[in-house]
Amino acid sequence: MYIQAKEIEKRINGRIIINKMDIAIRQQEILAIIGPNGAGKTTALELLLGLQTADSGKVHYWSDDYKKHLGVQLQSVPFFPGLSAIENLKLFAAFYKQVIATNEALAMLNKCGLRDSAYTEAGKLSGGQQKRLAIAAALAHQPELLVLDEPSAALDPRARQDIHQLIQLLHNEGNTVVFTSHDMDEVQRLAHRIIMVVQGDIVAQGTPEELCREHRVASLEHLYLKLSAKEETA
Amino acid sequence: MITVILRSMMITSIRDKISLFYALVFPLIIMVVLASFFDKNHANVTILTSVTAIGTMFWGMQGIAFQVFSQKNKGVYQLLKLTPVSPIIFISIMILARTAIGVVLNMGIWIIGMIYFKLDFSYQSILLPVPIIIIATLCFTAFGFVIGHLAKNEGQVNMLANFIQLPLLFLSEAFYSLQQAPEWIQAIAKILPFGYFTEGLKGAVTAGQEEVLLGMLVPFIYMLFALLMAVFTFKRGINFGNQSFLKKKTAG
Repeated sequence: MYIQAKEIEKRINGRIIINKMDIAIRQQEILAIIGPNGAGKTTALELLLGLQTADSGKVHYWSDDYKKHLGVQLQSVPFFPGLSAIENLKLFAAFYKQVIATNEALAMLNKCGLRDSAYTEAGKLSGGQQKRLAIAAALAHQPELLVLDEPSAALDPRARQDIHQLIQLLHNEGNTVVFTSHDMDEVQRLAHRIIMVVQGDIVAQGTPEELCREHRVASLEHLYLKLSAKEETA
Repeated sequence: MITVILRSMMITSIRDKISLFYALVFPLIIMVVLASFFDKNHANVTILTSVTAIGTMFWGMQGIAFQVFSQKNKGVYQLLKLTPVSPIIFISIMILARTAIGVVLNMGIWIIGMIYFKLDFSYQSILLPVPIIIIATLCFTAFGFVIGHLAKNEGQVNMLANFIQLPLLFLSEAFYSLQQAPEWIQAIAKILPFGYFTEGLKGAVTAGQEEVLLGMLVPFIYMLFALLMAVFTFKRGINFGNQSFLKKKTAG
């Protein structure tokens, strides 16, 4: 187990954002956290990562120095203006006290499909390229656990497919990947296990097959529509 | 590790064309324009020290404020919280990088000005401005860091920077004398650092030892205060997410 959260709760201005949630991230899995906008997915991730503090409950990490082994891509693309893709990558590695050589950085960019854009200013890359660079930056220190917050949001089908291939490749190389998404095709294709969050509660979790069987739906799309209806009727 | 971060921060600062314009080109334009209006022989030292001081303040404060605001908005500091690098180390490296470039730029303005006004070159007039400019740049850069963290949008970066810069500039004797101003204005001017900074630079040319000392001491006190505020706002800022620490994030 990498991260285990027990009964974590978060309130903002008195409103419950995360309600006594239990989440476990297991080794070697691709875990998808799904749910409608405002359901609490990002807050749940931030609580797991320690970016926000839970009002109650506990989060256990597999190691005291877990930050060194954790790669994170947040929804925003956090690049330093004026720096090229490769310069940003080297800088992010330095944040983890690692100095990566140019050929290593180029290999990493190549893996993320950015070899030809290595010397382009990060701010001038397309949306899909910036997302891939954000993932490359999260990989710069070779983490064991990779957390991606909506990695394919607002991307065209080609860029989305590139991201899917990258996630699959990273998993095949031994990484554990956690991602949030609204795209049920993406989740169906990639996730080994799914946690669905609605209004700060986990309303379903299991493998895609288990969930479809349990809720008697033909696809994850139907499951999503069925379970998120709770939010609309609430 | 520190070398990579320092170098990267220097590159990102050097490639910030707008800051470079305001820190280097704009003061030089002001210098030439003012020199064409006033008697070069009488006003040369005042013009030189004033434009160098303006360049130092613009580079230090406004430039880094926009840089920090942009980084904060892009979630850079959120990500930093997940890395082993301490915020204080990062702030220090960023301010150092910016200061190093600022000193080179402003010494450039100083030397160009000395040539332009045909002032006498001496060890004193070349070496003494260096520590004065270093301290002032550190001071203004730390204030810029605070502004970048307090602002909620780019408009506020500008407003907050102007809110500090304009009184500093107009309540100093950089371009005119305050002897005819009301006493309360003179009293305020005496506690602000910009006037001491410009007088310190003048002292480097006119051999005014007291001016040089005060030109370092007063901005140094403000620098310590600004650095403390920078660390405080940075720590508060990253604890409150991507948004300004004045408004907490409510993520979905």
